[in-house]
Amino acid sequence: MRVVIAEDDAVSRRILETLLRKWGYEVTTTLDGEAAWEVLQGPNAPSLAILDVMMPGIDGLELCRRLRQSPGSMAPYIILLTATQGVREIVKGIEAGADDYLTKPYDRDELRVRVQVGARIIELQTKLAERVSELEVALNHVKQLQGILPICSYCKKIRNDLNYWQNVESYVADHSQAEFSHGICPSCYETTVKPQLESLQISVSAESDLSN
Amino acid sequence: MSFDQVTNNGNEGINPHAFATPSPPGITSDAVDMELLNAFEELQLGDGSDLIVELIDLYLLDAAQRVTEIREASIETEWVLLKRAAHTLRGSSGSLGVRHVAEICERLERMDGRDSPQTVADLVRLLEYESAMASASLAAVRQRRLN
Repeated sequence: MRVVIAEDDAVSRRILETLLRKWGYEVTTTLDGEAAWEVLQGPNAPSLAILDVMMPGIDGLELCRRLRQSPGSMAPYIILLTATQGVREIVKGIEAGADDYLTKPYDRDELRVRVQVGARIIELQTKLAERVSELEVALNHVKQLQGILPICSYCKKIRNDLNYWQNVESYVADHSQAEFSHGICPSCYETTVKPQLESLQISVSAESDLSN
Repeated sequence: MSFDQVTNNGNEGINPHAFATPSPPGITSDAVDMELLNAFEELQLGDGSDLIVELIDLYLLDAAQRVTEIREASIETEWVLLKRAAHTLRGSSGSLGVRHVAEICERLERMDGRDSPQTVADLVRLLEYESAMASASLAAVRQRRLN
């Protein structure tokens, strides 16, 4: 999993980077909010961000707000880090859009498990998004079969989305999970197959008589 | 004179005379929490580099710059700049176990218009003193590790 760190203090940044790499994360470090914003808007953006609250330029709180308001791509899981303690600071951070909050100096084990929580939530969100996407695709197919289908009154072919007339069997096969096994119904046997068989029998008998 | 003796004066803050003529910074001071610093040993990457030396180098470079910023901001009464520099220095000091510097920075962050210029100036002088002590301790640790 990719993680971006935004921290202007070189010591804290190096410690964070070392810890996260030790725990198996792929880490990108940035020195301020502006650089972190660029990384998070880029291709293959990290899904978890650890942001210092007080940074020059765009601070951690402002970056949180921007990420939550950003349309399109899924916002990362955000952990805010600050040297300022107190409930008010935590409330401000969560209201700005952070998912979690840690005060410095932090306990390493606490950071590790909080990052793990973030990773677990990201994994769940990703799986959920995949399932939603699959369901949307499936739902589109169901809608096509439930809608009004233009069908020829005589040959029973269906006009498909590309404006081609397609036989019912192939159309249904293309638009659903259904498969066909072939047989003959009693009615068709009487009206179509039986006369054909009788006609075939007559012609075979006639050929036999001629050859004799 | 210990850090506590210098600073433990209630709201009045500091006794500036206590560090007016500091003894040369020694490596035996309690300016750095060595237990916390040594705990970084378990984070060594095992690639031949020394994380603790690297962190000390980063700290010494950054702390000197921040202390200068704080001193200049206090002279020019630029409280926003002073508090920002104190906040950053507190973060790095706390991370590395430079506890007295972290405590002084926390007090500088809490400064407001009610504090007299003399109190601020005294606190900045104490910061310079403790920062020098801590830097000497860290430099000694660094030297030992490189040997």
